Amino acid sequence: MRKRFRSNGNSENLVGWLMLAPGLILVTIFMIYPSFQSIALSFFKWNGFTAWRFNGVENYIEMFTRDRFFYQSFINTVIFQLGATFGTVFVGFVLAAIIDLKVKLWRSYRIIFFLPYVLAQFAVATLWGTIFSPTGLANEILARIGLESLQVAWFGIPWVAKVVMIFVAIWQYSSFPMIFFLAGMQNIDEEIYEAAEIDGATKLQRITRITIPLLKNVGSIIIILQLILSFKVFTYVFIMTEGKPANQTHVLGTLLFRYAFEFQQFGYSSVLSILMIIMALIFGYVYLKTSGYSEIIRKKKV
Amino acid sequence: MATQKSKFGSFLGSSTLQLLLILWAFMQIIPVLWQVISSFKTTREIIVDLFALPKSFYLGNYDFTYFSEIGIKIGVYFRNSMLITLFSLAILIIVSYLAAYAIAKIRFRGKNIVVFVLIALIGVPIHALVVPLYYLISDMGLINRYLGLILPYASFFFPFTTLLLQSFFREFPDELIEAAKIDGCNNFQAFSKIVLPISMGAISTVFIINFIQMWNEFLLAYVIMKSNDSRTLPVGIVQYQGNYITEWGPLYATLVIAIIPTILVYLIFHRNIIKGVTAGAIKG
Repeated sequence: MRKRFRSNGNSENLVGWLMLAPGLILVTIFMIYPSFQSIALSFFKWNGFTAWRFNGVENYIEMFTRDRFFYQSFINTVIFQLGATFGTVFVGFVLAAIIDLKVKLWRSYRIIFFLPYVLAQFAVATLWGTIFSPTGLANEILARIGLESLQVAWFGIPWVAKVVMIFVAIWQYSSFPMIFFLAGMQNIDEEIYEAAEIDGATKLQRITRITIPLLKNVGSIIIILQLILSFKVFTYVFIMTEGKPANQTHVLGTLLFRYAFEFQQFGYSSVLSILMIIMALIFGYVYLKTSGYSEIIRKKKV
Repeated sequence: MATQKSKFGSFLGSSTLQLLLILWAFMQIIPVLWQVISSFKTTREIIVDLFALPKSFYLGNYDFTYFSEIGIKIGVYFRNSMLITLFSLAILIIVSYLAAYAIAKIRFRGKNIVVFVLIALIGVPIHALVVPLYYLISDMGLINRYLGLILPYASFFFPFTTLLLQSFFREFPDELIEAAKIDGCNNFQAFSKIVLPISMGAISTVFIINFIQMWNEFLLAYVIMKSNDSRTLPVGIVQYQGNYITEWGPLYATLVIAIIPTILVYLIFHRNIIKGVTAGAIKG
């Protein structure tokens, strides 16, 4: 393989790298360099004004052994990640399966369902924040249908607040997996279904034995993508609960923001940055393996 | 298709399935619609009855002089957001177009590493790097400056955009370029006359997808744009909401202002968007 490259001469190498250069310079300055700075910073104490003070691995020890907010926010992040991922993938699959039957107006449904995806997260968070506020629409609806007993301060109870935020994510982002599943379903050959029909497969078996197995690839790609995207959760929590009550609804991102910009613990908060970057690398690797990108790299097909 | 529909339809009854879609469609639209309707009610009306339709078509919530009297410059924020988004997009698209073309069409050593780095960077959220970014941008003297957001935005959206565009170039037939060269075009002419016109569709797709992301970006803008005159729309509106949380009428009006541009872009270009989101993610 090396030989093939060499035979192309150095000019191709040069042109390739020249075309990549502007973008690589940008990500090096604004993503890779800050990542390394975070790594360095995580071994220091720094309040943003005085000189960095070397702190060894003390920040890490503090974070992993004594900081219960860290554990709480880590667990919250994973809960949100799993809830939002499997919620959106499940709803997205059901919607896609129905739309794929080409029910009446299916194109309009697809357009409507995708609309929330384009709305700003902060606007969506504010809207649902007011709906689930104590005097908001949600409690008002419960009152009107005679279920006053179910009225709660939605954001006052940590687990309820988390469920609400997962619900909002499902509301806003289910259409994303839906689009993927639809694309996958359109590639399934109708004859497979017909053959199964002849063999006496029931309608439910059609879905469980044919559609789902054939969508396994698409499904695993979209699950990983959703895990990556939902791991980035920040704005929902920042706007809807601000980590309240009693710091129990923080996620990694909002906790980092609080440590850094409210408590000026820039070294300590960097431990959270490192953790997030490592997670991103792991997800990135899994995505690489699943998405078919790795095959393309290996083949070196151009 | 017709047979498939009738057979599967009888399984649950196609009207049941249709009903599910209608319910979900309502779920998606009603909250947004409710917010738009509420923005035409006075705050008093909203408090008295959350459900009632506006008594009169009240436009007072959209009164920009009210906002400017309390220091909320909606017009300025809007202009800031628009300029920052457009300049970031211009840089992003040029830079990732070149990179994508190189990845898809040119053989060079080290491509594996580049692709892996780009994929790894997709998962790095802005907020993970917000501290070093803040000090970097501050050292560059770019706090409160458009460039202080434009350059990071172009960088953070570069990995995904490049991977998406390269999947387009990968399907682009080499024969077209070869044919043009045989007809006497040089490299540059082949590019400008053949490659560029055909890729306009892909370019508009990444334009729209990134427009939405950049227009909606909140955290970095919140940290970098500190002065009132440099704020972007999300930052300005969140600032307003923080201080006037009980002014429901104007609050809903600001939310409507914030979501209208992306909704318009979506309604005009929904085909490109829906196609584009899936294009980059599967099989490179």
